[in-house]
Amino acid sequence: MRHLAAALIFAASPAFAGVEEAIDDHILPATAAFEAATEDLARTAQADCRAETLRSAYQDAFDAWMGISHLRLGPLEEDGRALAIGFWPDTRGMVQRTVAGLLADADPVVESPEAFAEVSVAGRGLFALERLLYDDAVSGYGADDYACALATAIARDLHRMAEDIDTEWREDFAATLRTAGKPGNDTFLTDKEAAQALYTALTTGLEFTKDQRLGRPMGTFDRPRPERAEARRAGRSLHNVELSLEALRDLARALATGPTPDTEAAFAAALELAAELDPVLADVAQVQGRFEAEILQQRIEAIQHAVANEIGVTLGVSAGFNATDGD
Amino acid sequence: MRTTMTAVLALAAATPALAQSKGEVLATYADIAAAAYEDSLITARALDAAIQRLIAEPSAQTLQAAREAWLRARVPYQQTEVYRFGNPIVDDWEGKVNAWPLDEGLIDYVDASYGGATDQNRYAALNVIANPTFSLSGEDIDATEITPALLENELHEADAVEANVATGYHAIEFLLWGQDLNGTDAGAGERPWTDYATGEDCTGGNCDRRGDYLQAASDLLVSDLEWMVGQWAEGGAAREAVLSDEDAGLVAILTGMGSLSYGEQAGERMKLGVMLNDPEEEHDCFSDNTHNSHFYDGMGIRNVYFGEYVRADGSVVSGPSLSSLVAEADPQVDAALREDLNQTMIELGQLKTAAEAGFSYDRMLERGNEAGEALIMDAVNALVEQTRSIERAVAALGVDQIGFEGSDSLDNPNAVFQ
Repeated sequence: MRHLAAALIFAASPAFAGVEEAIDDHILPATAAFEAATEDLARTAQADCRAETLRSAYQDAFDAWMGISHLRLGPLEEDGRALAIGFWPDTRGMVQRTVAGLLADADPVVESPEAFAEVSVAGRGLFALERLLYDDAVSGYGADDYACALATAIARDLHRMAEDIDTEWREDFAATLRTAGKPGNDTFLTDKEAAQALYTALTTGLEFTKDQRLGRPMGTFDRPRPERAEARRAGRSLHNVELSLEALRDLARALATGPTPDTEAAFAAALELAAELDPVLADVAQVQGRFEAEILQQRIEAIQHAVANEIGVTLGVSAGFNATDGD
Repeated sequence: MRTTMTAVLALAAATPALAQSKGEVLATYADIAAAAYEDSLITARALDAAIQRLIAEPSAQTLQAAREAWLRARVPYQQTEVYRFGNPIVDDWEGKVNAWPLDEGLIDYVDASYGGATDQNRYAALNVIANPTFSLSGEDIDATEITPALLENELHEADAVEANVATGYHAIEFLLWGQDLNGTDAGAGERPWTDYATGEDCTGGNCDRRGDYLQAASDLLVSDLEWMVGQWAEGGAAREAVLSDEDAGLVAILTGMGSLSYGEQAGERMKLGVMLNDPEEEHDCFSDNTHNSHFYDGMGIRNVYFGEYVRADGSVVSGPSLSSLVAEADPQVDAALREDLNQTMIELGQLKTAAEAGFSYDRMLERGNEAGEALIMDAVNALVEQTRSIERAVAALGVDQIGFEGSDSLDNPNAVFQ
């Protein structure tokens, strides 16, 4: 009888278990927070675009981005927004080159938001702005300098994209996920596909933090690459690792349909260790620091296994292909 | 009579033919690999012969002949890229022959606009051709003789930087065409044939060393391809790996199709180039052959699903297809995937057509070039669409739970090739 009741509850559920919770409890609050944080950044820049004034709003906007950066489906993939907001890893040093090019040319493209939206992603978004705000060679610009106008243009462009993401999630893509498997839904042909898409975002996010955020600065034992740590100029490399794990834990909790003790324990163990690492992961170049980073990678691997068993199996899905497949 | 008919039908439905045909489908997949790598080898040998002629008798004609041989060699090779992501043997190897993008200043002279060493790569402007001895990661390197071993063991991925590409198609491409200095304007690299001339005619300096480098890279390409042909021959390790576990073999096919379609081609190679407006994001940037490189990648994906490959000599390799296997499981999923693969070829065909008619791929990448962006993004969207259908085929075949059993397959495709 109890089984029957459970079955009826599931049958009556409007969307696949977990999807509804992920949308309401995890995604929509986070897209709204990113919209608000970038609005603040754009407004601050409008009033005073100098580096020291902008830094605090910049850090808040980046924090908010970490709340949604793993949602590589729908609105974030549209128009390449995820790349335009956070172009990293930048394996060929394109941000440095592109920002230097814009500055050298005093490119008038900053005057028009429409035109600026067409600029290379390496000249837009959080990492281009990081150069302006934290690279000592640039960050001393004055209110009338071109760099100030560029910072304003980037801030405004970030807010434009954040607004579009939030609107499209609320007005369109949430419904696309919710109506998975219903007639007329060409994106998700079964309700399971919606769950799979969110599950893929979870597993891909874990892999990205392990292999890229940690793995890139770690390099090899003989050739560590601390200079490749994400957002190290802004001092956020480790913070991004922590915030991404917290956001992914949020998503995991929303997707879970039953108790997930292993997943909870694995996230807690990873976050506990992460809190002890170097803020910009610079010490991966030393034996002890590298050792700790390796253990953190192993703890993220433990999360991956726990998530596969406690969430993937329960949902009956495995991860699909993701945007970071390939080399 | 009626019961007999029912029994026959029931028997047909329950027949183990499905299990048997999995093996046949995998054999077709391996046969296409063997043929496509053999075609790659045959055309690479033709390229090698043309390179030998260029070095022996440098002229505008012999340089042009070598370039044409390179372009032909790319046609079968690009169709093998679908074998990369599902097959560790291929993926561990492919960086030797098709690594990209490269910091070409490692190899030879470059324009002043290239800049020098970077944060990412302190050997970005090493210029081995001009420097017989140099220090690399604290080690003194004697490059007075440029040999395949030097390229392979010392220079390739030097200092653990992937952009230090010293071998393979793209190193050879750079040595045949030179840098494309036209930005997002039309035009390929314009290396003069005199870069290989002897005596006073030599331009760019060190023509003999340049010839040595080109020959060494060409020798390596041939020997690397010979090795891969062996892996797919009867009894070869790659063929055995695919045939030994049928479900894992099917996952290998689908992983290769999906990872190439989505993360690699749609994402890394096409969308990123549009988003960066960077002509160096062209896959074949020196030769301006990127439209073909994309087209034949797409063709390779289609080949393995339809179980049919048209060889370089026009003969056809075909057999029981993955398509028929998926159709048995779910005809709708199969029909949709076939349609998606064909649609992708139409989109890639339009891009190729426009490029060949003069609207070159570098111009498509220009900031604000809406027609170019539309051509590329239509192909990207078609590739994304077919990826969704590939995922549905995985589910239809019921091989999607393999990942949970600790296999590095669909749930963690990166692990397969890292």
